[in-house]
Amino acid sequence: MLSEKAIKQVDEIIARYPAKRSAVMPALYIAQMEFGWLTPEAIEAVSEATGVPKATVKGVATFYAMYKHKPIGRHLIQLCTNVSCMIFGAERLVDIIKNKYGLEAGGTTADGRFSLVIMECIGACGTAPAMLVDTDFHENLTEENIVKILENYK
Amino acid sequence: MITVTINGKDIKLEKPVTILEAARTAGIEIPTLCYHESLELYGGCRLCLVEVEKMPKLQTACTLYVTDGMVVRTESEQIADARRGILEFLLINHPLDCPYCDKAGECDLQDLVEKYGPTAGRFAEGKRKHPESFDDPIIVRNMERCVMCTRCVRMCDGVQGDSAIAVTNRGSHSFIEPFSGGRYNCEYCGNCLTVCPVGAIMSRLHRHSYRAWLVETEVNTVCSYCGVGCSMVIQVRNNSINRVVPRFGLGINNGLLCVRGRFGYDYVGNEQRIKSPLVKKGGKLEPVTWNEAFNTVADRLKALRERYGGSALAGIASGRCTNEENYVFQKLMRCGLGTNNIDSSARLGYSGAQRYLENIFGQGVTANPIYGIANSEAILIVGGDPTAINPILGLQIRTASRNGARVITIGYAPGLERFNSIGLKPRIFTEGILLSGILCEILKIKPFTGENQTLESVIKGLSLRPAREIAEICRLAEDDIRKAAEAICNVSSISIVIGQDIIQRSNGNRNLFMLSSIGYMLNARMTLLSERPNEQGTIDMGCLPDMLPGGRPLEIETFRKRYEGLAGTEIPSGPGLTLMEMVEAAEAGQIKAMYIMGENPVFNLPDSNAVKKALGSLEFLVVQDIFLSETAKIADVVLPALAWSEKEGTYTNLERRMQHVRRAVDIQGMEDWRIISEIGKRLEVSMPYNSSEDIMAEMVRVSPLHTGLTYEDVDKGNALWPYKGEPLRAEMPSLSLSDENIIADKGKLYLMVRRPLFHSGTLSRRSYALNNICSEPYLRISRAVAERLSVKDGDVLKVSTVKGSLQVKTKVDISLNDSAVLLTNNFEGMGAFSLLGYKLDPVTKAPGIEGTEVTIEKGKPR
Repeated sequence: MLSEKAIKQVDEIIARYPAKRSAVMPALYIAQMEFGWLTPEAIEAVSEATGVPKATVKGVATFYAMYKHKPIGRHLIQLCTNVSCMIFGAERLVDIIKNKYGLEAGGTTADGRFSLVIMECIGACGTAPAMLVDTDFHENLTEENIVKILENYK
Repeated sequence: MITVTINGKDIKLEKPVTILEAARTAGIEIPTLCYHESLELYGGCRLCLVEVEKMPKLQTACTLYVTDGMVVRTESEQIADARRGILEFLLINHPLDCPYCDKAGECDLQDLVEKYGPTAGRFAEGKRKHPESFDDPIIVRNMERCVMCTRCVRMCDGVQGDSAIAVTNRGSHSFIEPFSGGRYNCEYCGNCLTVCPVGAIMSRLHRHSYRAWLVETEVNTVCSYCGVGCSMVIQVRNNSINRVVPRFGLGINNGLLCVRGRFGYDYVGNEQRIKSPLVKKGGKLEPVTWNEAFNTVADRLKALRERYGGSALAGIASGRCTNEENYVFQKLMRCGLGTNNIDSSARLGYSGAQRYLENIFGQGVTANPIYGIANSEAILIVGGDPTAINPILGLQIRTASRNGARVITIGYAPGLERFNSIGLKPRIFTEGILLSGILCEILKIKPFTGENQTLESVIKGLSLRPAREIAEICRLAEDDIRKAAEAICNVSSISIVIGQDIIQRSNGNRNLFMLSSIGYMLNARMTLLSERPNEQGTIDMGCLPDMLPGGRPLEIETFRKRYEGLAGTEIPSGPGLTLMEMVEAAEAGQIKAMYIMGENPVFNLPDSNAVKKALGSLEFLVVQDIFLSETAKIADVVLPALAWSEKEGTYTNLERRMQHVRRAVDIQGMEDWRIISEIGKRLEVSMPYNSSEDIMAEMVRVSPLHTGLTYEDVDKGNALWPYKGEPLRAEMPSLSLSDENIIADKGKLYLMVRRPLFHSGTLSRRSYALNNICSEPYLRISRAVAERLSVKDGDVLKVSTVKGSLQVKTKVDISLNDSAVLLTNNFEGMGAFSLLGYKLDPVTKAPGIEGTEVTIEKGKPR
């Protein structure tokens, strides 16, 4: 079950649309924040909160790449390795993260601190390389400053 | 008028339809995979691509509507190329395992590839692996064979309304899955199996034993489970049922079935079937010859009649037997044993309620076509969940809801919770009061018409309380009551669906009066839910203590004389006892012998321990059944009958439509009617029948309702009785609301019967399939009660009432009222009726089972 606060948020979103099902996707984000990732319980909670059948909610949740379907660390690093970032050395950054934290792309550190996802373009080609940590945007990354940035996330 | 040219042929159409439909009306075939006439359009498989002049690209015929002057070609080199290409794509991941796929021989993909397909694929990347799922006891999913047509999902969402499965994941990784990823946990209607064009969703029950080309015969028949009477086709191989399937375009169910109909038929093949007649010798039932059994029954009944008179004998007919059998049964009782003590389990709700409504409105008032429900603009549902009791009827309500009808449910109806516009859950046992409040609000909006002055004067004489007061009693929002009344007032076509829960009350007649009044004020169609396939038939065949065949009142001399003249025997003129009265009379020693056909009163009647004692005290008890039921076990003679798939006859469904039940397999044994005829002959009753058709021929002479009817008419679908509007017995009810007895529920819990989707009782619990879907009963409790007792799903609880106690697992049911707990009456030794007392409704004579307090405590794990 969602927390009271989350249910209130979902209800507010439902009220914005003519059909309740329109609230499924934002509700999934809310549930993801509460549960950490979209556990079966999280999907059931969304189903209960929106009145949309749970199989249908699961169908929606699994269609989109940015919902999380397995446990992730406390902080999610989303690093771009597309053309501009690659040219500016993003792949070396991947190595640094691997060496420093033992973190492979797609994996989570043993202490549950970080998860790393390699992103397609995040629209920061002019200030490449770039990454997202949780919802914070970081650009002009270098081999020096990336660890410093990451050390701010405990 | 629209003219469209397809393959050079001009087709004239009244209204725009899709190219596919236009082509089909002209007999032009266009291949399809994802298209299905019962489902929402999808346009996903791209196999129906056609050329449309002036359109640069190929178009999907299933989604493009024709316009005037459109020129279409359905076959060309370009089209064949496209279809070949699509099929090549569909086969990239397909395992090509036709030799051991059950779908082979009736697989759309196989047929299409044979016709259009590539002889070899060019994709060498290797196939996607997705192991076949055996997590479910009934349904096997093989997602390697799936072509992603989504017919199953559209069936589940848009027709069945269960939404149990969905497309999961994306693109070439997508597959169809229930929420759990394994077990289905759905309504198990199996309608996804019917629409799957390939071997992706298959039944486990006949896995590797079904081959389309090995089916020897197909028999059109009617389902044996509930009062809807769905048409089905029994596919027979080696004189046994291989599979049961529905057919689109056939019957009232039009291609749909429910879990009981589709999977529950296998009880007929259960090893526990009684194979020989049994007679109690030295306290034990011993096998005997048919002749000995017949002579024992005839001699004993004759002796008991001579000693005590006909009024000491009684018979229980069966809503599971055919019309013909029930007709012969009442003839045996009336003419052979000289008694009118005949009734059936229809008394538990259906027959008493129908009689009540017919006395006000006339014969056939509840005989309304089921499809009419789907076309209603508003539907009021009271006293049961139609999606569980009569599932295919329940689907009509879901359809109506999708079409924008206002659906108002009163009480427990979890299957309609996503489909109702207003769901009223009044405090326990106050549904009748709520109805009176709705009536009061309706009277403020609708004027009297003067059509039925007697009824109007009764309504006017009531001191109805307004919504404000009712809301307090029922613990509802005043506004909701008013809204419900308004919702059903302002429409032109309304249906009222009535379930057993409000009939099985000691004041059930009052609930029925309120519904009659609402129905009258709104000119509504009324439908009674029916748990047996032929409850209506028992009524029409005269298996009632005061009615002769054709629904003719016994007390009217002209009817009785006519019956006696045709039968050649005098019959008693006074009415006999109703079902529960018979049991009470047996207990009191007034009934000495009973003949029970196809019924299990020791389990199926409330206060069943007392019923067992009463029937056990009889001097002579004959039970005719297919299984050694709880009742058969205490009988003096047990006569093994044939099951529904083994005999010919007719059933009359709840819309009063007579339908043909056909023999699918030949089994050594005797039909119920043959057994009764043999006994009848020994009691000097004229029973010269060689077939069920002979009985029908006699019955149509006796019953004015069926005059001139033949099996041919039945087969043509002409045997449906419309509303005649003439009450044969004008008994206007009188009632006052001053003595309303409201059961206080403060902190107390009350046990009620749950009528589930997966089981019906004596038969279903012997179905392998249904037992695999649902193997044990659960006590349903509300969330509040669960929290109070701090129990969770699966905990074993001890449930006790004054009548006894049971240990049963629990399940929290969010649809439940706080003070009600529900238990089914399906599983041996675990029936709710063993814990429930009853008080007869003085008018309908249905047992009122309300008001049994129950205590719940944590039990020991079994």
